[in-house]
Amino acid sequence: MNNTVHKPFFAWKHLNKLRWLSLATVFAMLILIPFLHVYQTFIAAHTYDLLSYSEKQIYDTMSAITSPFVSDPEEQLDALKGNTWSGTVGSLKLSDPLAVIGQIVGSRAFYWPFILTALIPVLFTVLLGRFFCGWICPATFLYELNSNLAILLRKSGLRIGNKRFDRRLKYLVLAIGLVVAVATGSVVFAAIYPPAVIGREIYYAIALGGFGSGVVYFLLTLLFDLLVSRRGFCRYLCPGGALYSLLGRFRLLRIKRIVEGCNDCAKCTAVCEFGLDPLHDQFGQECNNCTACISVCPTDAMTFYINPQDIARQGPGHLGRKYKQQKHEQGPDTSVDLTDGK
Amino acid sequence: MKRRTFIQSLGVSAAATGLGLSPSAGLAAGGSAPPRYLRPPGALPEEEFESRCIRCGQCGEVCPNHCIQFFGLENDLASYGTPYIIPRDQACILCMKCGDICPTDAIEQVERKMEPILDKVSMGRALVDKNLCLSYQGKTCGVCYRACLLQDVAIRTGLLEQPEVLDGCVGCGLCERSCIQLPQAIRIIPDYT
Repeated sequence: MNNTVHKPFFAWKHLNKLRWLSLATVFAMLILIPFLHVYQTFIAAHTYDLLSYSEKQIYDTMSAITSPFVSDPEEQLDALKGNTWSGTVGSLKLSDPLAVIGQIVGSRAFYWPFILTALIPVLFTVLLGRFFCGWICPATFLYELNSNLAILLRKSGLRIGNKRFDRRLKYLVLAIGLVVAVATGSVVFAAIYPPAVIGREIYYAIALGGFGSGVVYFLLTLLFDLLVSRRGFCRYLCPGGALYSLLGRFRLLRIKRIVEGCNDCAKCTAVCEFGLDPLHDQFGQECNNCTACISVCPTDAMTFYINPQDIARQGPGHLGRKYKQQKHEQGPDTSVDLTDGK
Repeated sequence: MKRRTFIQSLGVSAAATGLGLSPSAGLAAGGSAPPRYLRPPGALPEEEFESRCIRCGQCGEVCPNHCIQFFGLENDLASYGTPYIIPRDQACILCMKCGDICPTDAIEQVERKMEPILDKVSMGRALVDKNLCLSYQGKTCGVCYRACLLQDVAIRTGLLEQPEVLDGCVGCGLCERSCIQLPQAIRIIPDYT
């Protein structure tokens, strides 16, 4: 039987590293872009001689980083601006779908040039599901580091909360946010959506001389994740996550368990940051294809597949004890369908 | 008796501090008059601007003059995260880059030429306080006129460089920024007031 198990493509196992690289790159860009702006203002003011020592260091570093790419930094560096909430790359403007929804509702008008800036993210979300949460979101970068910190703290003997709430809570947050946006006529998500808050606060800290009030809010969410519920904000509260989950409900790219190669070790379920249950084929609309379960699987029994729906429950893994017991009870030669499981 | 007067005085002083505290508590909660700020050039009318702006901060990131700042919670909740300019700190040089980058056109795109700027930009209008202005006090100054990007369209000077604001003023605030008087004798009265 083992000979017939189809092993997944070897590279899928390493995608999780690529994901960390992606998260770290996005975060580094959020730090770099404000410094580039400061550099541009120094150039615009023609003030090199008047800069302080640390300002000169910023100037020199940024000039060293950018000089291979641009000849006129003051103008050309305008090609790279913004953050994950809304950003500019060259002449392409990209926005978070949550910003677009919030703005439509807040201003009670359709402003098409802006709505179209969310087109590419929406298309990707429809195909790949909640990939933004796992691969791009700058808050995820900090939240996952925070999760790792929680593991360290638990190992050192501290009691770390791991409460579970109803995952549908975040759809309520999304709905309430939209109602408040209508009532106040402004995009309230910008104030509570962690990636937007982080992008803004990093800019404030670097270019405007200090963090704003948003950083307190973000620290509170970090503490909530650390002390109350693992990845609690993303799982239960994030309005952006709610929107992405809805958009990615019928995503094409999914992860599935190869039941023939599974030994029921449950590492996939333990590692899942979003509290999903890959061991029992429970991915649902909230899987963000982060591939942590693929990389952790000791028997290589997780892989991608392309289908607009998850496969039905497959029952216990064929390498596990439970499957062998069932098979033993039913006799070796009966071709009873075991895929029903329990 | 002594004790009673003591208690009475305690009560009075407590009441006084209570009364004294309430306005300052109002200040802390943002109940005072809002700061005199300008919106970036080409911004939509105030209410429309607040509903259109998504608080992405890109206008500040392209501002070469570093004049665009962002509201925290000090003004009111509706303006949280929106851009503003305090001309005395740093005034707008009308480079119009913020309008180019704004994804929602809460700050409209305006070409960096005289006609479109006069047509579309209205951040406010300068107002001269003749009691403070040095030129009106007989000491020839004219700094505001020299600082203006729209000389003789937005501002002109007469005898002794006495400034006179014209209808072409778009309210960029360069005159207020450059005024050598403190408090400044020329100020921008924002458009939204």
